[in-house]
Amino acid sequence: MAGPSHPDAMAPSRPGPTRTAPPQMPASWWSAPRIRTYLLFDATGLVYLLLGFVALEVVWALGAGPEAWDAMLASLRNPLVVAFHALGLASVIFVGVRFFSFFPKAQPPRIGPMKPPPAPVILGGLYVAWIGLTVLFAAILAGGIF
Amino acid sequence: MSETKKKFVITRFDPEKDESPRTQEYEIPVQGDWKVLDAINYIKDEVDPSVCHRWSCRMAVCGSCGMMVDGEPKLTCKTSLAEYGDTVVVEPLANFPIVRDLVVELEGFMEKFKRVKPWVVRAKEQAAEKSGGGTYAQSPEELAEFKKFSMCINCMLCYAACPVVANEGEFLGPAAIALGHRYNLDSRDEGESERNEIFRGEGTIYSCSFAHECSEVCPKNVDPAAAINQAKFSALIDWAQNLVLPKGRAGGA
Amino acid sequence: MVEVSRHDIIIVGGGGAGLRAAIAAATADPSASIALVSKVYPMRSHTVSAEGGAAGVAREDDSLEMHGQDTVKGSDFLGDQDVIEYFVEQAPKELALLENWGCPWSRNEDGTVATRAFGGMTVKRTWYATDKVGFHMLHSLFQHSMRFDNIVRYDEYYVSKLLVDDGACRGVSALNIRTGETHAILGRSVILATGGAGKVFPFTTNGMIKTGDGMALAYRAGVPLKDMEFIQYHPTGLPGTGILITEATRGEGGYLRNKDGDRFLVEYDYGVGQKAELGPRDMISRAIILEVEAGRALEGPYGAYVHLDLTHLGEEAIDAKLPFVRELGRIYQGIDPVYEPIAIRPVAHYMMGGVDTDIDAATELPGLYAAGEMACVSLNGANRLGSNSLTECLVFGAVAGEKALAHAQATNEGSEDRLRQQAEEEGARIDALRGSTNGSEKISAIRREMNTAMETGCGVFRDQESMAATIAALAPLKPRAQQLALSDSSKVFNTEIIAALELTNMLDVAEAIAVSAHSRKESRGAHTCRDFTTRDDQQYLYHTLCYHEPSAPRLSKKDVRLDHWEPVERKY
Repeated sequence: MAGPSHPDAMAPSRPGPTRTAPPQMPASWWSAPRIRTYLLFDATGLVYLLLGFVALEVVWALGAGPEAWDAMLASLRNPLVVAFHALGLASVIFVGVRFFSFFPKAQPPRIGPMKPPPAPVILGGLYVAWIGLTVLFAAILAGGIF
Repeated sequence: MSETKKKFVITRFDPEKDESPRTQEYEIPVQGDWKVLDAINYIKDEVDPSVCHRWSCRMAVCGSCGMMVDGEPKLTCKTSLAEYGDTVVVEPLANFPIVRDLVVELEGFMEKFKRVKPWVVRAKEQAAEKSGGGTYAQSPEELAEFKKFSMCINCMLCYAACPVVANEGEFLGPAAIALGHRYNLDSRDEGESERNEIFRGEGTIYSCSFAHECSEVCPKNVDPAAAINQAKFSALIDWAQNLVLPKGRAGGA
Repeated sequence: MVEVSRHDIIIVGGGGAGLRAAIAAATADPSASIALVSKVYPMRSHTVSAEGGAAGVAREDDSLEMHGQDTVKGSDFLGDQDVIEYFVEQAPKELALLENWGCPWSRNEDGTVATRAFGGMTVKRTWYATDKVGFHMLHSLFQHSMRFDNIVRYDEYYVSKLLVDDGACRGVSALNIRTGETHAILGRSVILATGGAGKVFPFTTNGMIKTGDGMALAYRAGVPLKDMEFIQYHPTGLPGTGILITEATRGEGGYLRNKDGDRFLVEYDYGVGQKAELGPRDMISRAIILEVEAGRALEGPYGAYVHLDLTHLGEEAIDAKLPFVRELGRIYQGIDPVYEPIAIRPVAHYMMGGVDTDIDAATELPGLYAAGEMACVSLNGANRLGSNSLTECLVFGAVAGEKALAHAQATNEGSEDRLRQQAEEEGARIDALRGSTNGSEKISAIRREMNTAMETGCGVFRDQESMAATIAALAPLKPRAQQLALSDSSKVFNTEIIAALELTNMLDVAEAIAVSAHSRKESRGAHTCRDFTTRDDQQYLYHTLCYHEPSAPRLSKKDVRLDHWEPVERKY
């Protein structure tokens, strides 16, 4: 085994009558291909956190006068920064696709008298909404609307 | 019947003798159509009778023989030895305290199991509700809504696979939540509010981050990941409904 | 010092019958304390592997009389008819109760419970939950039993001795498998529900835990074992592993074919008549063995076999009604039953015989009750019809629970000192045995020799010579089992000592089976003797009783209750 799990993992409320060895995690807990996808999924949270800080800086620059704004726009054109934002976009698409693929099975068979629509309809609806909203906001931010 | 030799690296732990778990290697002749369990039984019967493990039905329905084989949670009576190379590592189920060799402590699971009230809760037994012969009417469609989630054999492979179970003690875990959800979906049951309260409370189901490992390893296609995430939604709706229209409890023990 | 616990009733075995008894007693008296002692967690009990269904009259065109008649005829007129009459009446009520407790029975379109055809049943009356009925029943019972705070579970405790004081059974000595400590669990009545003993045979549908522990415990306490010669060979088990392929495959229309592709049950006269594949299990098992002897069976790595053909049923029907069978075929035989026939052969499956009880589930020993496969009430006589056994667990589990509770309420506790003393001695015996290297015998070797002996003399077809040879082969095994070389001296979760104790129990049960079989010089139901091929109602219409004696078992007879149906020739 790789190492210990949380010491309370699957522990009974009172200790058993004989000494037990602590719960273990398997050696492959981080290396099996399937779990790597999940770990990557969770790790994208770091990307969003950093993007959040960037967004705050942009907002601050917006209120700090035209020179600060121009300086911000210049720094955003830095190839490294563009690459980071591309990573952000890839993360969001990766997470979105993974989440959407699970979404149909997370619908209960019924809420009261209502049944959910079939999986292809749900998936279609999700992608239409996602892509539609993305296009809308891109148009607004590019100055095409409003 | 083809016969070759394979090496098995088995976790050993005797609390009377060992400070912490160690491993022991056994090289045995194996048959082409053996499952992993056949090899462990051979080791116990013919080579080292002090190796301790749980098993019973050998047809993947009693749930006793769950172990880690080469790092993956498996039902050893269902897993073909032919899938593995010359050396096979067999360890007790991950995330459970280890009692002896390949035997783990199950009381933690039994407690979580009982907490979801896995029985039919009904406010009042109405004789008139029952159709002919004293049974409740239930259509094939109503049965199909929860049938998949009733197939759990309590093998606990899902607990060994779940990263949340590995990282905290409180989480109810896949099998327990799936079982609670099974009763919530059963048209004969009226205890949904009570169970949803348990789901939202201590042992919260919202700790689940949809890793989906539980459904990947489940040998009976119960799909606990679906159950947990359906339950998240249902419990939320139930909470919102209670805010707007507080309703009484369904009775029952 | 052994730990002592006190309850009102003690139930040994947590399967269908044991759980039903616990629920019955807990419901009847919420203030009673009920101990449920099992060597495995209850959801591992072998009830879980039952597949086909549970019988109870449900349809308009069915009647209690017909269910009773089918059961009596199936039993080859050795079933006690008062028991059968009570059983068929209670059956639908018990199955409906189980439904109320959440069991997901398969349904008709109108919401009523569906039924399927089964061997020996003239009308469809087998309730089913796809093809995992035992699993759903056991889990429904176990989960329902958790509602009762007065059911106290002792999970993974191995009962190694009954404690008898002042002429009555007043407790058990149980080994806590986790700690290795012996525990005296005392009560005012004890119910045994530990199941059958298929593991005395080499090829069996039974799991590891079916070692006849309860039968041996009662046997050694002086209670006779009844009708032990009647072993049901289920016709369709997988060669090699012995895994069960349910009778429901035939109930849903499957065919049995020999190597020429013929439906031999129709081609040749095996006594099943029009029923063909839906004939009773003993006749079909015999038919398969006779096909093997006639050279019309196929040969494989695990011996001769025939085909169970489901290919004409279609994928949709199989996925709807027999999904577990499809899974078993793929995992354990590498074939898909939708497209290929399954290789099957008869394997030891169920014991019609067991601890002698009356209709109230009571044994000769006051305070000791028995229910389920390990008891012989006798519902099943010389041959059991498929799907009667799961219902039997419910009906007589409930009876045992209620009657044992009533007995407990009317009796006293006996002497705690004397009872504890017995448990202390038992604990000392086990402690001395654990890890002892005095002897040189290996558990697995003795087990194999027992299996071989039982296969030789107590198979589907028997003859006096091979039965005598089996008795002779078994005789030296018991003393050899006292000379085991055990290597595990640890107390914590020692499964080697459990295997050693189970071996002793299996040898006692095997001896009872072989001796009883040898004494029955006729063919009836599942007991087919080549030397005496007909049924002899003049001389052998009785239950065989087998009593434990130090030197060799003592046999006796018990009358069959024939209140209602006259014995006739058993033709289908």
